[in-house]
Amino acid sequence: MVKFVKIIPIALKVGTVTRKYPFERPLITESFRGAIEVDPVKCTGCGACTRICPPKALSLIREGETLILRYFVGKCIFCGMCADICPEKAIAITKEFELASENLSELNVDVEHELKKCVKCGATFVSTKLLNKVRSQVEALPDDIAELCPNCRRLEILKRFTGGR
Amino acid sequence: MFSQTSYLYDNSNILDKVIKNVGGLGAEVLERKPDFTRVFVSRDKLVDVIKELMKLENVYLRTMTASDEREVNGFFKLYYVFGVDSLHHTIIVEIPLSENSPSAPTLIDIVKAVDWYEKEAHDLMGIDFEGRKLHKFVLPDDWPDKVYPLRKEYGIEDLKKLYKPVFEYAKKVEAEAAVIIPIGPYHPALHEPEYFELYVRGERVVDARYVGFMVHRGIEKLGENMKYDQVPFLAERICGICGFVHSTSYCQAIENALKIDVPERAHFIRSIILEIERIHSHLLWLGVALHLLGYDTGFMHAWRIREQVMVLAELLTGSRKTYGINIVGGVRRDIDENKIRKCLNVLDNVEKEFKTFIDVALSVPQVKSRLRDTGLLPKGEAQKLSLVGPTARGSGVPRDVRKDYPYAAYKHVSFDVIVYSEGDNMARTLVRVDEVFESIDIVRQLLDKIPKGPIAVENWDAEPYKIGIGSVEAPRGEVIHFLITGRYSPYRWRVRAPTYQNLPAVPIMLRDSELADAPITIASIDPCFSCTDRALVIEINRGSIKEVPLFVISNKFRFGV
Repeated sequence: MVKFVKIIPIALKVGTVTRKYPFERPLITESFRGAIEVDPVKCTGCGACTRICPPKALSLIREGETLILRYFVGKCIFCGMCADICPEKAIAITKEFELASENLSELNVDVEHELKKCVKCGATFVSTKLLNKVRSQVEALPDDIAELCPNCRRLEILKRFTGGR
Repeated sequence: MFSQTSYLYDNSNILDKVIKNVGGLGAEVLERKPDFTRVFVSRDKLVDVIKELMKLENVYLRTMTASDEREVNGFFKLYYVFGVDSLHHTIIVEIPLSENSPSAPTLIDIVKAVDWYEKEAHDLMGIDFEGRKLHKFVLPDDWPDKVYPLRKEYGIEDLKKLYKPVFEYAKKVEAEAAVIIPIGPYHPALHEPEYFELYVRGERVVDARYVGFMVHRGIEKLGENMKYDQVPFLAERICGICGFVHSTSYCQAIENALKIDVPERAHFIRSIILEIERIHSHLLWLGVALHLLGYDTGFMHAWRIREQVMVLAELLTGSRKTYGINIVGGVRRDIDENKIRKCLNVLDNVEKEFKTFIDVALSVPQVKSRLRDTGLLPKGEAQKLSLVGPTARGSGVPRDVRKDYPYAAYKHVSFDVIVYSEGDNMARTLVRVDEVFESIDIVRQLLDKIPKGPIAVENWDAEPYKIGIGSVEAPRGEVIHFLITGRYSPYRWRVRAPTYQNLPAVPIMLRDSELADAPITIASIDPCFSCTDRALVIEINRGSIKEVPLFVISNKFRFGV
């Protein structure tokens, strides 16, 4: 008996298994990780996600008096480390993965933050939201020191300890 | 059940004797553990010490690394990592080399497998080996002289500036003409850039030579500039088919170096995913092998069965291929009851379908006669070249990291190491077929025994300049990562993939075989280059070598040996 013809009943039973993607929806399981989504309300612009991101798809850019958290999906490897690390849980993993575009700028998603100005020297140093969050958590922080940039703050505290000499 | 310790102490006398002899030769034993010895040797004593070590039975070279430690202790260092399978013991031989002119005696006459490692150390770290004339190996031809990219004085940005492809040089060696070369008269393995020169007389292959490293990506240097928790994601992208073994191996190396106690549940999850990866990789290889033999029906069915395993992998980890669940100290995704049930269903189905399919596929007369008695690799050669994985097991060498140097949760399961002694393509195929069933069984046992508890260590501190080894049995053979820790990122990270060890065996398999058997023979080690492949047939009889400009480029490799 020629054994190898037994493949024919197997093939007949199975039929066609190829899916007509993209006309049919692809099979995605419930744990699939796709592109991320940043919630602009929850995000404070602390930049923890930009530090862990392995392919550097997330970056913080300073433009004048705004701080931009830019997500460039073209580099994203869908690992979801940013969502794990985010202290505000502002990053959600979606199931989106069909993200091709003819226009490169469409691949960027920006979250804008207002930057706080130092009341003394006028340099921008931290996003307003992050400063407010720190102030709500650290009760002992005096208002006049909180709004100084790190450099001015150091000088101010030194002045207080040495009594202005 | 397999017990490591009892096995070890029965044989430790032989090992103790050898270590004592080595000590008598002037070597200093730095660290001695039941499964691990570190030996420090000065460079003039190296040859004697290695000769003494090679007297042990079943000893093989697992990896070799050159490391630039001038900032730390003022010299270059070479680390030779040997494994003794039957004693489950790892021996690291370290030799310091002077800062100004690092040179070491070559070991090529004693350990045949050291060939590529020495070439690479010379190329990337600038180590000279006395008695060997070494040429460029990994780096491109127009790379500037005396620039050794893995030395610490070069940052990645410096290297980018230094290397500018020299077009004049390309014209000189007629490389522009190489572009119009048609892809060889036949298409060998797995659609990745490899380059085999087959010297053919009539239909018979007289000799073969391999040229590679066309897609060297500098991943080791990149990893040295990334944070500890980012590197697993880079490591996973080393290989397109078995990425998880690399990230696991990297994490193990760090955990080993810093003595991080990984939770048992994380070990189980890692082992489960590793075995699922082996199943899908072997099914992929079987499909490709059948395709190369012209049996495309088999290819379709193998990949149809594989698809269920891919969907299962996505269900367990969140991604079909680059799973991305390994972090140093554990894993990121847990497996719940629902997933375990689905997993068992899929495995039952895969086992049933694969059994009926493989019975049919291997009974096709053409497949049988193409596989049997082709690509012969004798056991002696397999041992000499320190081969790993199904390539070694198909030639009767029972080498398996899961059994020899147990890691993750493999000490909790029982399984057989599949060995066939024929050494032909059929033997290597059958090793893989049997391993699929063995893996399915292992996953079932693991899912049954999986303990409760946390899946990752919350906090750990990095301590610089500790040495760690992580090794995993990948579908193709042993993957080994050698790592020296730094403060925020690895100080030196050396990856050795199984194909690096196995490729030198391909010319031996090809020698004196039929030209038509070459594709399946090259594929039989399951090679893992990357991207498009190129093949070139040079007929010595007709003297048509001159028509092939690519040959000119490969000259450096021909005289480099």
